[in-house]
Amino acid sequence: MASPICLMTAFDDGRANMQANDDARAIEQFMRGVERRALRMAEFATRSRDEALDLVQDAMFAFVRNYSTRPGAEWPPLFWRVLDSRLNDWHRRQRVRGRWWFKPGDASGDDDFLSEAPDAREPGPFARMADGEASAALEIALRELPLRQRQAFLLRLWEGLDVADAASAMRCSEGSVKTHLSRALANLRRALEAHR
Amino acid sequence: MNQPHEHENWIERATALLDQSADNLDAETLSRLNRARQAALAQRRVITRRWAWSAGLAGAAVALFGVAVGLHHRFDEPTLGSPTAASTPASDIDFLTSDDDALDLYENLDFYAWLEKHGGDPRG
Repeated sequence: MASPICLMTAFDDGRANMQANDDARAIEQFMRGVERRALRMAEFATRSRDEALDLVQDAMFAFVRNYSTRPGAEWPPLFWRVLDSRLNDWHRRQRVRGRWWFKPGDASGDDDFLSEAPDAREPGPFARMADGEASAALEIALRELPLRQRQAFLLRLWEGLDVADAASAMRCSEGSVKTHLSRALANLRRALEAHR
Repeated sequence: MNQPHEHENWIERATALLDQSADNLDAETLSRLNRARQAALAQRRVITRRWAWSAGLAGAAVALFGVAVGLHHRFDEPTLGSPTAASTPASDIDFLTSDDDALDLYENLDFYAWLEKHGGDPRG
């Protein structure tokens, strides 16, 4: 006959397992809901699907490891924060690599280094947008935005985070989010306007 | 200059295009995303299981400790008040010090043994 202690422990284990299963289902549903947009967001930043997949997987692992026990309402800004952190790290690594191998002494240290590149804006994508390939034009325009502007645009307007959550995800002030978003809209509109 | 509604239309179109691009990912990419998600969740299951085991072991250890303390208390309690165990040294001392004859008997045990062996009576 099982002792009361064993029964209690088994009962606690069973209850913990049921709770864990519910939590696992909830977090899987959440991640399933955001993973495609996360991949596209990482792809805009890295311009490589493989790199983007690696970053998203890394973000998923870190998110599950660090934040899966938090209430579900807190997950969206936390997940995007983890991914944003990975994107920033990736950009820093690229910048260091570029500094050493391609453009020594050309690193300004700010977020606008992409817009300062000489071939930042090509007429090709805009011409394709006039032909109806708006998606490709938008993708290129987004890729050419500075990281922070692109993140502000994607998190606020595509992902639908409010200003406070976007600021939390980007680890900056709400004012910075508004500034980045305003600049992102201006730059994107300027890039696409000529093709309407 | 753009009017506000034009601005919103443009944003709506942009987000719709982005949604479309996310919805139309190829099967291989979706499979890799699925594997990444499952791997992350498997990590969580390991963490949860380890936590459950730790909690269970901790609970069992606490329960075991409680039982041990209870049993120790239960077996010790009668002996604490028992004169045979706890007070034995004190009773020996009482025996040796309270009665002069008893002390005399104790000190001369060898003599009384010898006397008994030879059948004599020292008192007469």
